[in-house]
Amino acid sequence: MKFWNRFWFVVAVMFVCASVWPGYAQDTTATEEEAPALPESVDMSLGVVNSEYVMPEGFRGKDAEEGDLQWLEDVGYLMAENSDLYNVDANAIAESAQFEGPPNINWEVKKEDESGNLNTESSEDTNVASNPCNITDPGYYQVHNGGARQVSSAGGAEGDAVGGTDEEAGGSATATTGAEGEEGGEASGAASTVTAQQRVGIEVHDCTSPDVWIAFQEGAGNINMAESEEALKAQMVGKIIENMGQPFSTDSKDFEDASYIFIEEGKDEERNSIPWEKTARLSIAGTLFNERGAPKYESGKLNSKIDQKEYTNHVSVIGGEDKSIKGVYVRRNVPFIIAAVSTDNGNKRASAGEVEVRIVDANDKEVERDGDAYLFRVPNYPRAEYKDQPDYYFTTSAADKDGNLTTIRMPLYIVNTQAAFEGGRNQ
Amino acid sequence: MKNRSIFVVVAIIVSLAGSVALYAQDDATKKETPPWLEGINMPPHPENLSPVMPLKIFMENGEAIPATLTEDIPITLVADTAIFDAEPPAQYNGSDIPNAKWSRNAAVSWFFIDWEKNKNVPASSTQQLALNQMVVTPINPTGKGAITCHIGRKMRYTDPVTGKTRGTFANASVGHDARVLDITPPTCGLEILVEGGRSGTFWVAENPPNKYPLPKLADVYFSGALINEADPGAILAVQGLELGAGMVVPPEKAAVKVPAGSVLKIKVNGEDNYKLDNTKLKYGICSNASGEPVPVSAINATEIALAELELPENPHFYVDASDVSGNRQVLYVPLKIK
Repeated sequence: MKFWNRFWFVVAVMFVCASVWPGYAQDTTATEEEAPALPESVDMSLGVVNSEYVMPEGFRGKDAEEGDLQWLEDVGYLMAENSDLYNVDANAIAESAQFEGPPNINWEVKKEDESGNLNTESSEDTNVASNPCNITDPGYYQVHNGGARQVSSAGGAEGDAVGGTDEEAGGSATATTGAEGEEGGEASGAASTVTAQQRVGIEVHDCTSPDVWIAFQEGAGNINMAESEEALKAQMVGKIIENMGQPFSTDSKDFEDASYIFIEEGKDEERNSIPWEKTARLSIAGTLFNERGAPKYESGKLNSKIDQKEYTNHVSVIGGEDKSIKGVYVRRNVPFIIAAVSTDNGNKRASAGEVEVRIVDANDKEVERDGDAYLFRVPNYPRAEYKDQPDYYFTTSAADKDGNLTTIRMPLYIVNTQAAFEGGRNQ
Repeated sequence: MKNRSIFVVVAIIVSLAGSVALYAQDDATKKETPPWLEGINMPPHPENLSPVMPLKIFMENGEAIPATLTEDIPITLVADTAIFDAEPPAQYNGSDIPNAKWSRNAAVSWFFIDWEKNKNVPASSTQQLALNQMVVTPINPTGKGAITCHIGRKMRYTDPVTGKTRGTFANASVGHDARVLDITPPTCGLEILVEGGRSGTFWVAENPPNKYPLPKLADVYFSGALINEADPGAILAVQGLELGAGMVVPPEKAAVKVPAGSVLKIKVNGEDNYKLDNTKLKYGICSNASGEPVPVSAINATEIALAELELPENPHFYVDASDVSGNRQVLYVPLKIK
């Protein structure tokens, strides 16, 4: 009995010692050993959280070996990242190192310009390792996560500043930065900023049909139609860029010199809808959209049709007797010009190009200009009265480099001047 | 004998409890997810090769970046890393990187982190600078901050295992710890209330903000019935005063007009771009409008009965404030007795 008592006593003492020792051992080694050097930076993983709308490698012919993510514009994706810098303890950074507070986490989106430079589009200091990312213009982008955290090696700031740094903001002004007073280098036990970063390359694909403006301008007297056409085009290019594709006015008085058809992505709140819910806005302005020559400004929303495989959109405007826009009404014996320009969100509508407009008959045979302008000498409207006269249509089509398309086909009616227009406009 | 047995049992229980507590602590530490990693299910290291390369940042003249910077004073910094070399590294961590080629330009980001608030400000410059340069202007004082630089560049290489070409990023980042000295005086003002609910308020705003070189300038704004009885909601601005120890509002531009014999209730609005030294804050009514204020009312009195004062010919309200860095503001505003 005596033996067993002694035996258990010895075992118990050894067990207590063994239990308590590691805790003390940890503390003493941390303070006595030389502090290991902290790295300046560590690596990081970064990626997109699984989404069915991340397109496959090689989407729309992109280089599959580049390793870029293939995204669609206007679709939000969730990005996530991780690094040893975001751990609870700093052991993975350096032995016995300690974090001084939470990390600083910044999300940045950069877009590549035509010269290959990567320019910052957005920068958000969120201090969170995931971030929703919605890129609304096509192009090549890099999403960048930059992380930083104050880390102290053993023996120094231990216990001083661990915890939320927000509370410290209103406290003492005394700097606790370890590097203070030094220029470069790290002092043992001092708090240093350790960084991490990673980037992901992203091809953002265009899913928006181009904006198209079409202008009709009648000529009279000795007006030089060729000069008028060039001036009209130049004016349209300037205005479509200035107005980001949206109509430059909604006042019908501003359309007395020329009539316009505007097809564009819509009002601000209508833009950047997800690709399969995209719409377009069709606006007509001027005197040529009814047989009476009455000035008008009308606007309405159109649905866009998406290609389920390529995610390209097609906006199609077709006029006719049973449509909201019946057609364009021009006067016989009055020369007129048509000009069309287009702009695209691919370069944020920063440039505009001329688009070909054709007038064709029902057999798609193109009607030639009479000199510098179109001129029809025989009316074909009302159609019931001029059944023998051909149907005319004006057509135009604008496509961006990704294959998004805007097309217009609308009847062109030649109105008997004496019947409908006299001395100018509406009678 | 009996006692010894009891001791043995107690010792075993204590040691077991101790062990359990230690292990439990370890487990808790391992399982705890910090708030910034909520919902993150991603390993901390990239799955594929992504070299982390050394990066040095220094002053434009090649010298080390000082550990103490001054707010609003721009410094031009330079980054030096092999990411700007003509070719990517051919090896990383002892392994070959076959056929490594850059496939895009480098992207560079600079930040100033205020560790006291855990907020960063991205640096940007309107000047045309080389890709590896940046002008950093710390605009907020802090006792604990850091300049960080992050550089990444897309590269391609042949995966030695699959033999296929793969795209990845080479990364480099570094931080330089620095504090930022405050050189902006406080921007304090007063609210004065008399019987009947009429009040007058004046406050100070640095304008233009972050001006350098010194002196800093500020506008003093006035509002309330004691300033403009006809339109108490109007805001009157006295512009272009030098922000510092001699801010004198000319009487012809603005004044606080109070009825004779009023009892004034005074509240100070203490403002500073970093930390106000509350122990040095003084305000009240004084007899002068230059040099050191000569108080005629009790210092920092929240209520002043004018009838109890011997008022001089041209009394002024004053606010004398300093921040913890020693920047001082003394503002004099004319007091007119009706």
